[in-house]
Amino acid sequence: MPDADVSHHVTPVAAPPIKPRGRWRTLGVLVVLALAVLALLSQGLLRSLNYFETIDQAMSSRAKLGTQTFRLEGVVVAHTIDRTSTGASFWMSGGHHHEIFVNAHGTPPQLFQSNIPVVVEGHFTSETSDRFYGTQILVKHTASYISAHPHRVKAPNGTVR
Amino acid sequence: MIKQLAQRLLGPLTLVLLVLTFWLGLWVTPPDKIQGNLARLLYVHPAVAWVALYVSFGTAAVASALYLWKRTRSQVMDRIAHCAMEVSIVFIIVTLITGSIWGRPTWGVWWAWDARLTSTAILGLFELAYLALRRANDDPDLRARRSAVFAIIAAVNVPIIHFSVDWWNTLHQGATAFTENGNLLVHGIMLWTLFISLFAFTLLFFWLLRARYRLEVLRDEKYHASLDEALAQRRREGVH
Repeated sequence: MPDADVSHHVTPVAAPPIKPRGRWRTLGVLVVLALAVLALLSQGLLRSLNYFETIDQAMSSRAKLGTQTFRLEGVVVAHTIDRTSTGASFWMSGGHHHEIFVNAHGTPPQLFQSNIPVVVEGHFTSETSDRFYGTQILVKHTASYISAHPHRVKAPNGTVR
Repeated sequence: MIKQLAQRLLGPLTLVLLVLTFWLGLWVTPPDKIQGNLARLLYVHPAVAWVALYVSFGTAAVASALYLWKRTRSQVMDRIAHCAMEVSIVFIIVTLITGSIWGRPTWGVWWAWDARLTSTAILGLFELAYLALRRANDDPDLRARRSAVFAIIAAVNVPIIHFSVDWWNTLHQGATAFTENGNLLVHGIMLWTLFISLFAFTLLFFWLLRARYRLEVLRDEKYHASLDEALAQRRREGVH
């Protein structure tokens, strides 16, 4: 039984102390992540839980909104877009036949067009006016995906007409 | 036998479905009426987000719950939770990147502080915190228990992300594929390609999870082998 003999000669030693540096570093990372979550919460969820006001919401709280900056959502009315050197002006409609004239500065996004939902950041031009001055146009595309040319047929050589 | 076959087929099947997704997405499906060719991101972004939020994080949360339940408590559950969470981080990052690439030409901005995007970013931070928490504990049982509790708490964020587009006004679009009434939003071959992409990326997750799990097992085996070796060496030193 050589193993039994060996065990008599082995004197137990204390385990080496665990270096606390790694643990503190990890706890530091956790604290930084917790602060990042708080920053995201304050920036994203608490400040702009509702990212925009619809035109109907804005019109119902028109007096309260005054000339403060907020984001307004509506659909671009067809044939009303006038592209200018500084941006674009157009009419935007809501669900209950409310329409607001928007004069926006800045380049509109690639998808900006008639009958598309948009979110415009800006403010009403005066306390009582229904004209809206926009500083940024965002396109709010829908989740509907339809082929651009569903009736196109393939020619025998494989090309699409 | 069936299990072995499934394990062997998982990799090749994933690869075939991913190739099929990209072929259908890039060459076969038509451009969208509004978004044109930008809509081709439909075959990547929703599938990656599906895996990140529901499949991988869901796996981690369920494995964590099973670890906390005494009947099913085992090292296997802890390992699965840990590995699924690591893979989930990769998918969350890809979700945010592909969403950003899609957002710039469609919305007009790379990032918007709306509820869907912000809550997804928060989930990514929770996952990083989970991994940091695991590194903060040396005791395996304590580490597994604490991280399992944390994973379950973090899972509360998943329904918030899911319903954020219904609860609040968000710039992010609503549900993809079907409306609340069950009406189709995506049409024809575009819908089938979307479903294939969801399946392909789900399989990719399980393939990655399996590889990561095996790596973890090998790492543990190596650790225990080196510990045995160290003990044997100590005994030999005691003899002399």
